Amino acid sequence: MKRPVAVVGVGQTQHSSRRSDVNIPGLVREAIDRALLDAGLEHRDIDAVVIGKAPDMLEGVMQPEQFLVGAVGGHMKPVIRVHTAGSVGASTALTAVTHVASGLFDRVLTVAFEKQSEGNAMWALSPNLPFVAPLVAGAGGYFTPYIRAYIARAGAPPHIGPMIAVNARENAGRNEYAHLREPMTLDDVMQSPMLWDPIRYLETCPSSDGAIALVVASAEQAKKGPRRPAWIKSGASYAEAMWVPGRDQVSPKAGKVCAKAVYDKAGITDPWNQIDVAEIYVPFSWFEAMWLENLGFCEVGQGWKIVDRGEQKFGAHLPINPSGGVLCTNPIGASGMLRVGEAALQVMGRAGAHQVEGAKTALGHAYGGGAQYFSMWIVSSEI
Amino acid sequence: MMKLRNVAVVGFAQAPIVTCDEHRTAQEMLFPEVRRALAQCGVDREAIDYQVAGSADYIDGRPFGFVQALDYMGGWPPKQDLHVEMDAAFAAYYAWLRIQTGDCDTAIVAGYGKTSEGDPERILNLQLDPYYQAVIGLDPTSTAALQASAYMARAGVTDRDLAEGAARSRTAGARNPDAQVRQAATADDLQRTPWAVAPLRRGYVPPLGESAVCLVLAAEGKAEKLCAKPAWIHGVDQRAEMQTLGARDLTRSASTDLATKKALSMAGLTSAREVDLIEVCAANPAEEMILREAMGLTRTGDSGPAINPSGGPLTGHPLMMTGLIRLGEVFRQLAGIVKTHPVAGVRRAIAHATQGHCLQQNLVWVLGSERRWT
Repeated sequence: MKRPVAVVGVGQTQHSSRRSDVNIPGLVREAIDRALLDAGLEHRDIDAVVIGKAPDMLEGVMQPEQFLVGAVGGHMKPVIRVHTAGSVGASTALTAVTHVASGLFDRVLTVAFEKQSEGNAMWALSPNLPFVAPLVAGAGGYFTPYIRAYIARAGAPPHIGPMIAVNARENAGRNEYAHLREPMTLDDVMQSPMLWDPIRYLETCPSSDGAIALVVASAEQAKKGPRRPAWIKSGASYAEAMWVPGRDQVSPKAGKVCAKAVYDKAGITDPWNQIDVAEIYVPFSWFEAMWLENLGFCEVGQGWKIVDRGEQKFGAHLPINPSGGVLCTNPIGASGMLRVGEAALQVMGRAGAHQVEGAKTALGHAYGGGAQYFSMWIVSSEI
Repeated sequence: MMKLRNVAVVGFAQAPIVTCDEHRTAQEMLFPEVRRALAQCGVDREAIDYQVAGSADYIDGRPFGFVQALDYMGGWPPKQDLHVEMDAAFAAYYAWLRIQTGDCDTAIVAGYGKTSEGDPERILNLQLDPYYQAVIGLDPTSTAALQASAYMARAGVTDRDLAEGAARSRTAGARNPDAQVRQAATADDLQRTPWAVAPLRRGYVPPLGESAVCLVLAAEGKAEKLCAKPAWIHGVDQRAEMQTLGARDLTRSASTDLATKKALSMAGLTSAREVDLIEVCAANPAEEMILREAMGLTRTGDSGPAINPSGGPLTGHPLMMTGLIRLGEVFRQLAGIVKTHPVAGVRRAIAHATQGHCLQQNLVWVLGSERRWT
């Protein structure tokens, strides 16, 4: 990057299954107003707006950023709309970073949202296409075979997935914005209906309405702001093709390459010891163990053991998803930006009841497509 | 003005625009264009640092349409990548920004979409706000007609003026082998065509078309190695307006006005009249007049820069890539590789892209045959 870039404002909505108190513009505006207030800025201070969300079929509006231009304060400004499947929230934030890093923009507002109650996520994500066997199984149906492959390869015991789900819910209990916050036990999870073996109902992400906005700014602006900024040490988005012989969807190469790129640039050689907290994209319980390996926090086959030993819990060696993560809050298009935004909040020291004590370096991570699109950043309390 | 990196368009390939390619999917249409664009530059995808695509799920009729295209753009080994749900011209804008950060030097930009697989009049209705505008059934031809009607009332433009504007595009398009409508037509011919939606006649609006495009961008140092005559980017800017039709003066394009001024200023110019050629993304003759005015040009008239020697969108309007084709056309003219409709002595040019109803969002590029910054 040509010059330092920081997150200077973070705002998110209350997330729930149905935000019937607001329409789509109202939802994005709730996040934006909070982010601007947080940054001590107003709409007139913003140079450009970057909007992200997952497939437009989720709400039934084509390119909804066009009707939202007024609501996001984009009138007569540059506006960009990003869509990179599940990773979109994170890649949208990085698109805003590029705007500032280029030297052409000083203060960029970025917002990601999904109002899933407007439509039917299963329909929107599993179309019945011509000439293709109808799967109509949603994302769970797609990803479960890879979870099963992971379990077989790693020889992991069946209680790992439920443990991850229980821990996520415990974490969400400390996050006032999270969608699902009621505590649950291992037994609750194991008694819940099987959706896609081995993924049970309580091991899968909800369908949420929600939005998050960030203000990303130059160093000069960041130093003027009312809050301690989160400095973006590195960021990258990598994608890999769907149909490649030998492509490993359990631990995709694009994820490894992307992680290496952000670690190298941030000077991280030992992620397990140098990263204080990570917000990673876990839509189904087992992915937490899988991504621990893909992200290089441990050797291959060891991810589930970290979970079994509880080393990724709040207050332990490397807290993963102290916000509760995607398992407790999932407005799809916003989920990636919630990860990178929560990582920023941690190094700003402003994560509230789920603040990881002394967090200086954090990883934000999202993925999407058929485990093809990866987008990550490393944020730090120091420039 | 801060010093920016000199970045150039160094390659462009486009499938000829057709009503319907019955034999290929959008991705199959894209693949040869990616290969051709890279071949023009004499490199393979290993030489490209970054890739960005522009497309829309609603045109693809499915979620994640771009995921399918990733394989055809070249997705192995993993590549730094982004997809924007916008006309591919905006993907090129983002690639240019990305190159400005210094993180990469080269990028490919792809646009694709099978317009023929759906009904754009119904699909593009869904771009409008779902609470007030979409529900009354407005389609893009109707909103364009509202705009044309308002403009004609303000500017005193007549049906005959529109017919003459459309005839100029048709005459030009007849020379462009990539155009979809290649039959020249006179103003008399076009004025006899039936209404599409009054005051726009069938002869004033483009037919449905589809294509696939790939453009290559490179920074100074690499650009010269990839292309004999790169088209250097001197300035670029994009602006969006509120969508609500009743909240805008539809007879003017305020966002084009501002984007043009900003792009010209970046290019060190003061007027669009200082360029030799403009490819403007106008899908009907009223839009062309509104855009000319916004750029500070006369509404019609033959003096000043050549406008749309390719025939422009009126002779081929493949959704999600019409804007990028304008940039590609300007590259071809500046690179001197247009055999069929060359503009003599082009040194500087403007490429314009738009998306949304009634010119909602506009992007303006200023390019030249020489580097901008030394």
